[in-house]
Amino acid sequence: MSVLDKITQLQEEALERIGKADSLDSLNDIQIAYLGRKGLITSVLKSLKDLPNDQRKEVGASANKARAALDNLIKEKKENFSGGKKLSAFDPTLPGTQTQSGVVHIITQVIEDICNTFHGMGFEIARGPNVETDYYNFEALNFPPDHPARDMQDTMFVEHDRLLRTHTTPVQSRFLETHKPPIKIITPGICFRNEAISTRSHVAFHQVDGFVVDEGVTMADMKGAILAFCKAFFSEDVKLKFRPSFFPFTEPSAEVDISCFLCSGKGCRVCKYAGWLEILGCGMIDPNVLEKAGIDSERYTGYAFGMGVERPAMLKYKINDIRLFFNNDTRFLRQFK
Amino acid sequence: MKISYKWLIELTGLDWNPEELGDRLTLCGTACEYIEPADQYMQSVIVGEILAINKIEGADKIRLATVNLGERQLDVVCGAPNIEVGLKVPVATLGAKLDGGIVIKKAKIRGIESEAMICSERELGLSDEHAGILVIDSSATPGQELSELLGYKDDFMLTFELTPNRPDSMSAVGIARDMAALASIKVNKPQFELTESNEKASDYIKVAIEDKTACPRYAARIIKNVTIGESPYWLKKKLILSGIRPISNVVDITNLVMLELGQPLHAFDYDRFGSKEVVVRMAKEKEHFKSLDGADHELTPEVLLITNGKDAVAAGGVMGGFDSEVESDTKNILLEAAYFNASMIRKSRRQLGFVTESSQRFEKGADPNIIEYAIDYAASLMQSLCGGEVLSGIVDCYPNIIEPLKIKFRPKRCNDIIGTELSSDKMKQIFEDLEFSVTGDSDFEVTVPTFRPDIEREIDLIEEISRIIGFENIPASNTNIGSLYTPIHYEDKFKKETRTVLTSVGFDEFISHGLADSKLANILHTERPQLNIANPISEDLNIMRNCLLQTALTVIHHNVSHRSLDLSIFEIGKTYLPPDEKDYWAEDESLVLAVTGNTQHTWREKPRPRDFYDITGAMEALAEHFGWGEFSFSPKEFSFFEKEISFEVLLQGKVCGLIGKINPKVAKKAGIKQDVFAAELNFDYLLSLSNKLIAFKELPIYPAALRDLAMIVKEDIKAGELIQQVKKSAGKIAESVEIFDLYQGKQIEKGKKSIAISISYRSKDSSLEISQVDAAQKKVVDSLVKNFNVEIRDK
Ligand SMILES: [Zn+2]
Repeated sequence: MSVLDKITQLQEEALERIGKADSLDSLNDIQIAYLGRKGLITSVLKSLKDLPNDQRKEVGASANKARAALDNLIKEKKENFSGGKKLSAFDPTLPGTQTQSGVVHIITQVIEDICNTFHGMGFEIARGPNVETDYYNFEALNFPPDHPARDMQDTMFVEHDRLLRTHTTPVQSRFLETHKPPIKIITPGICFRNEAISTRSHVAFHQVDGFVVDEGVTMADMKGAILAFCKAFFSEDVKLKFRPSFFPFTEPSAEVDISCFLCSGKGCRVCKYAGWLEILGCGMIDPNVLEKAGIDSERYTGYAFGMGVERPAMLKYKINDIRLFFNNDTRFLRQFK
Repeated sequence: MKISYKWLIELTGLDWNPEELGDRLTLCGTACEYIEPADQYMQSVIVGEILAINKIEGADKIRLATVNLGERQLDVVCGAPNIEVGLKVPVATLGAKLDGGIVIKKAKIRGIESEAMICSERELGLSDEHAGILVIDSSATPGQELSELLGYKDDFMLTFELTPNRPDSMSAVGIARDMAALASIKVNKPQFELTESNEKASDYIKVAIEDKTACPRYAARIIKNVTIGESPYWLKKKLILSGIRPISNVVDITNLVMLELGQPLHAFDYDRFGSKEVVVRMAKEKEHFKSLDGADHELTPEVLLITNGKDAVAAGGVMGGFDSEVESDTKNILLEAAYFNASMIRKSRRQLGFVTESSQRFEKGADPNIIEYAIDYAASLMQSLCGGEVLSGIVDCYPNIIEPLKIKFRPKRCNDIIGTELSSDKMKQIFEDLEFSVTGDSDFEVTVPTFRPDIEREIDLIEEISRIIGFENIPASNTNIGSLYTPIHYEDKFKKETRTVLTSVGFDEFISHGLADSKLANILHTERPQLNIANPISEDLNIMRNCLLQTALTVIHHNVSHRSLDLSIFEIGKTYLPPDEKDYWAEDESLVLAVTGNTQHTWREKPRPRDFYDITGAMEALAEHFGWGEFSFSPKEFSFFEKEISFEVLLQGKVCGLIGKINPKVAKKAGIKQDVFAAELNFDYLLSLSNKLIAFKELPIYPAALRDLAMIVKEDIKAGELIQQVKKSAGKIAESVEIFDLYQGKQIEKGKKSIAISISYRSKDSSLEISQVDAAQKKVVDSLVKNFNVEIRDK
């Protein structure tokens, strides 16, 4: 076997062992065995002086090449074992390539959440115009002619004797006129009030109203449905408090408080240490409202409820300024991806 | 409305603590919002007796008082002129927190250590009086807590948020009545004795009502020889804790009776009344009236007046008049107790421009039948507290007696509506506890007292039952009612999918309320009418938008001015127009898409300006998703677009919107200094197209042959025209035609551009022969040369 062949053999042998090496120690052993002071490749180099002149150069080059190759490979492999240093210059930490997607407005998201929950309970979505008549917005809903809500300071009017609806409840008046019970509807949409714009109040806001009309609908059904919604939308262990209240279109009427979902009712800044959050108004549809729509109020009864969208969204996401919703600042919108 | 806690306890005899009282009333509909300690400004304030007063060297106004505080003596610096040795005074000691934010701390005044202060009524929150210190009854014991002495200790000020339908709860007795009903007991209404003199009131005064609808009842009493002075502490306290300032004993008594019974009263100075006759009538046009506060009002016939037959002496139910006001020298009182029509009082006070305690009660609906009781109660107090002599009889004008309402009530109906199984007896009990009387067994006839004008129907009685048993005692049903299947309307699905597609191609959704600025609308669709807001909250929100482009520009302006310069946004929303001649009110939905700024800059992609094709790309994504086919664009000038880039959008042969580059002048007026591209599409039209079912196309069996074609054409030739031509010439076997390169620059002659097209040929029936493909390709080239004079490159 020529010296050159021997070098080749040694190199292949070493390569195989490096390939199989499974620890830093075994690599060290291989390094000593081939490249150490008394190593096999080292000894070939040491024996160069014994070779004839014409072979010395070629063998020397080959042995040095083998030595360098093995040395590099061992170093590289050692890095592998010595605590995760990189194998190569490839940089996986550069940001991944994304097609930048947009974001659905947070109000759309919350309305969708609310509607999905009610859809699961069998409610159908209905909509109506934003520019309304006094009849559907007030009269059909049993507002007395000189009710303060009809004042200029509360209602925004447009020319030609119409108004911007002050709630989405007029959809109820319209729907009742054109449909026969059983009816089970929710009405998401925008409403307007003649209010100065501030961090807490806005000239426009969204609302989701709902109502059910059928034979034998009771307040117990209303409580059950509202409880089911609040459990699904807020949390399974939510508690409800129904307080008698007044709305012209329902009788009896109630305000519903839910136990604060931020502090579980223990009291915090958001619930003003009351442990309760006012979230919803509801009641049994006033017989006058049914009769005005041509529905026999002796035979049919119903309940209605209504809730804001911005307020629960503000509570849920700790948003402190209602104006953010309509400013459409993308720095705000993109937080709700 | 505010009321003292102890007052309610006194009226009911219940032992509820303030929190319990607040909670229980809230749960029956009388919402208690706040509970504040009544003695908040009296803590650490004790009774002191002035033992000596000494001058302070170098000071004129302040003196040094030595006070006996029971267990200790203290020197207190005092500036009040009315201190005298022997007086009992309130002394605020260390730590006291007085009204107006004064906190008593150790301080040096003119070199004298002081750690207390002798208080006026204002500092104690008792009144506005601050000229001198409060002088306490001489029987008080030095060292005694002031709050205990005056009855404020352990009392609370309760604030109720009342619903507009409950006028009866605007009084202590009214609220006590709810408490009594909850506890099933009776209210201890005020008891009094009244001794009338031999003189007849009717010899002193006559009453005539001209407008019996506006004023169904007017009663008067005469009380002679009163001594005007201060009210006793117990009375002042009740007023103070209701937020009413004590004025003088006579006026305070009218306020006390109003607070306690809900019946507003008015005391006139009889000698200044101007006649012996009360005439109630509507004001005459431009008649003048000077109210208590000295303001002069020019009236309209909407204002109800109390007159002396000639001049206005009071705005009935709203405010008394200046000239007949009770003053410190008043001797004889004409006391009024009347019942006014609620909506009349609302009109009156709107005309006059103020709300008073009295108008609030009348406009919600007072009780016409409490008048004798209220006026007698007030008269008896004037007798006992002001030394007055009450003349015999009430001069009472009540032409048409208002009877209590009788309402039919079915206990079963009540249970059917509230979902309970209450017994008839229980319901009867609740009505009686509310002071309603009940006859009948299975069905009731309920007589509703006139203090509850809100109860007119059976359903109103059902509400009473439900609120007294408490909503928490109504079960919550756990079964669902309604049909088995609930549809999702296509419109909702379509909107949701549109949003999903547009966000997935990088567009952010924005939402507008639709109120807009006419100034901006005026430079957009100039020909389109605008719907004006009759009572806008501000000049820049004075119309309802007639296009969505406007709100898109507003949103871009907001973002750009907050240094968010790179935007792709969309909105689905309504536009508004004034009614047409058939009184049709259009509220059409539009979809607006707008882009501005640059694309994202990443480590591997350089930014480029967002432009026209970013919008058409998003539109293509929608078209693809909904299977609409291709949008096309036909040049049309719009004043708000740049002339060169201004198109109508067509889909399936119909114009359905517009697209272009916003004219920089228009953008500048909207506050935007960068390029904006936008499209507005008729959403209702898109919705009408979008119910297409996707039918599966079989996958191709035979291979396709791809041919590229690069050519130089004049720059005004549109890529779309070339593609149309290629498709036409290549015939059925052209499966797809795509542009894959576009170049215009140094290498190409000016006025021309290089376009490269890739054509995929395929037959679904067989493998295409090369000769077939070559023939088709030749036809394509020939037709392009012939029709567009193209120069084919790299043949
Ligand atoms: Zn909380």
